[in-house]
Amino acid sequence: MEQKLRDGAKALLEQGKVDYIIGFEPGSLKFTTTPLITRDKDDIDRLVINPFIVNNLSAYLTELEGRVGIVAKGCDSRSIVSLIQDKQIAREDIVIIGIPCPGLIDLSKIEQLAGKDRDEVDDITREGDRVVIVVDGKKQEFPITEVLFDNCLGCDMPTPSEYDILLSESSPLVTDKTSSRKKIEGLKGTSQEERWSFWEKEFSRCIRCYACRNVCPACFCKRCFVEESEPQWISPVPQWQDNLMFQVIRNIHVAGRCTDCGECERACPVNIQLRSLAKEMYDIVDDLFQFKAGMDKEAAPLLTAYAVEEAEDFIR
Amino acid sequence: MKQESEWEPKLLGLLCRWCSYAGADLAGTSRKKYPANIKILKVPCSGRVDPLFILKALRLGFDGVLVSGCHPGDCHYQTGNYRARRRVAITKKLLEYMGIDPRRIQASWVSAAEGGKFAEVVAEVTKELKEIGPNQLFTPEGKGYGAKATGRG
Repeated sequence: MEQKLRDGAKALLEQGKVDYIIGFEPGSLKFTTTPLITRDKDDIDRLVINPFIVNNLSAYLTELEGRVGIVAKGCDSRSIVSLIQDKQIAREDIVIIGIPCPGLIDLSKIEQLAGKDRDEVDDITREGDRVVIVVDGKKQEFPITEVLFDNCLGCDMPTPSEYDILLSESSPLVTDKTSSRKKIEGLKGTSQEERWSFWEKEFSRCIRCYACRNVCPACFCKRCFVEESEPQWISPVPQWQDNLMFQVIRNIHVAGRCTDCGECERACPVNIQLRSLAKEMYDIVDDLFQFKAGMDKEAAPLLTAYAVEEAEDFIR
Repeated sequence: MKQESEWEPKLLGLLCRWCSYAGADLAGTSRKKYPANIKILKVPCSGRVDPLFILKALRLGFDGVLVSGCHPGDCHYQTGNYRARRRVAITKKLLEYMGIDPRRIQASWVSAAEGGKFAEVVAEVTKELKEIGPNQLFTPEGKGYGAKATGRG
C-alpha cells in the first residue's frame, strides 16, 4: 500500500496534477509520524502508512494555495467533505488519496498495557485483530480493541467514500461503540454538580495554547471569537471559567463539522478530555437532526439548514 | 448583604424585534402583570442569537436566559427562527451534559399578538429559576463575578 501511495503521489506531482502532496513521514519520536507537506518529488519516498498516522491532515488544506494531493483516512475524508460543504475548499482543487483505515494505535494505551514508556517498547505490530508488543525481547499479545484510540472504536466511516485514488479495498475495522463512549457514559452517570466540577477541574489545567483549535480542520475561521476585543467575549487570561466557555463555544461552532477524528484531545498538552465534549456534540447532532458531518458534499452545513418540524419539545 | 429569602433571579430575555419584543410591548400596554426579573435585550431576529450570548449571560451571573422569537413559519426573515431553534437545541443539550441545569436555557415562540403568553412565559420561567436557585456556576465561592472582571462588553 505504501509503494502504491508513493507511485501515485509521484505521478501526481510529475504530471503537474497537484502542486503539493500532504502525507505522513516518520516522526522524530519512536513510532510516531509527522505531517509531510512537499512539492518536491524526491521527498515522496519518505511517505509512510502505518497504524500511527494520527493527524487529520485536512487542517492544512485551507492554508495551502493551489492544487493539493492529500492522504486521507476515513475521518479525514469526512473533514475534507465538510470543508467542501462550507465552501472553504473546492473539490476540483483536491486530489484525495484514500486509505481504508483499520484504526489507529493509541501509544498511551500501549504504555499502560506494557507498563513501560514508549521509548522502552521495542516493537508494536498489528496482526489482524491482535496487536503484538515486544518489550525487553518478550512478546505480549492483546486484542486490537484494547489499543485503538477511543474515537477509532466508534468510527462511522473507516474507508473514505470521497476519493480520487483508493489505495486498497476496504480493510475491516474492529469497532466497539460502547468502549468508544465509555468516558462519556461514566460522566453521564454522575450528578449535575459532579459533572460541572469535573469540567471545572479539567479546564483549570487549560493554558489556552489553542492547540485544539489549530489542529481542528473544522476550526477554519480566519479570526476566532476569542481574539475579538470589541466586544471582548471572553477574557484571554487562562482562568477555568473562560477556558470552559471557549471550549463550549468552539464545540458549538464545529457542531455538524466535527467528524470525531480525535485531534483536539491528542493535541492537548495538558490532556483535557476534549473528545468527551466533541463526541457528545457529535452524538447530540446525530440524535436531534440525524446529521453526521462530512457524509455528503452536496448537503448544507448543519447550522445553516433546518427542517420545518424538528426539536420543538423544549420550546414554550 | 441580601438574605437568601430576598433573592430574586435575574433572567435575560433575548427577544426578536418583530414578534416577541412586540409581544412584550403588548403585555405592557395591556397592563398584564409579569415578574420584573426579566431584563430584555432586543435582537433583530431570534436567528441573531449566538450561543455565545447565552454563555456570556450565564458567565456574567444571569440565572437564566430566555430566547424568544416568532412562531415557526412567521419569521420576518423566513428562516431565522428555525436556525435559532437548532442552535439553542444543541447548546441546551451540551450544557446539560456539562452540568448546567437545562432550565437555565429557555426558549419560546411569542407573536406580537401574544402579550398574555409573554407574561405567562416570564412568570413560568421565573418560577423555575427560583426553584433552581442562584447561578453560582462560575463563582463557586459565591463571591460574585460581575461585568468588571472581563473589562468591556
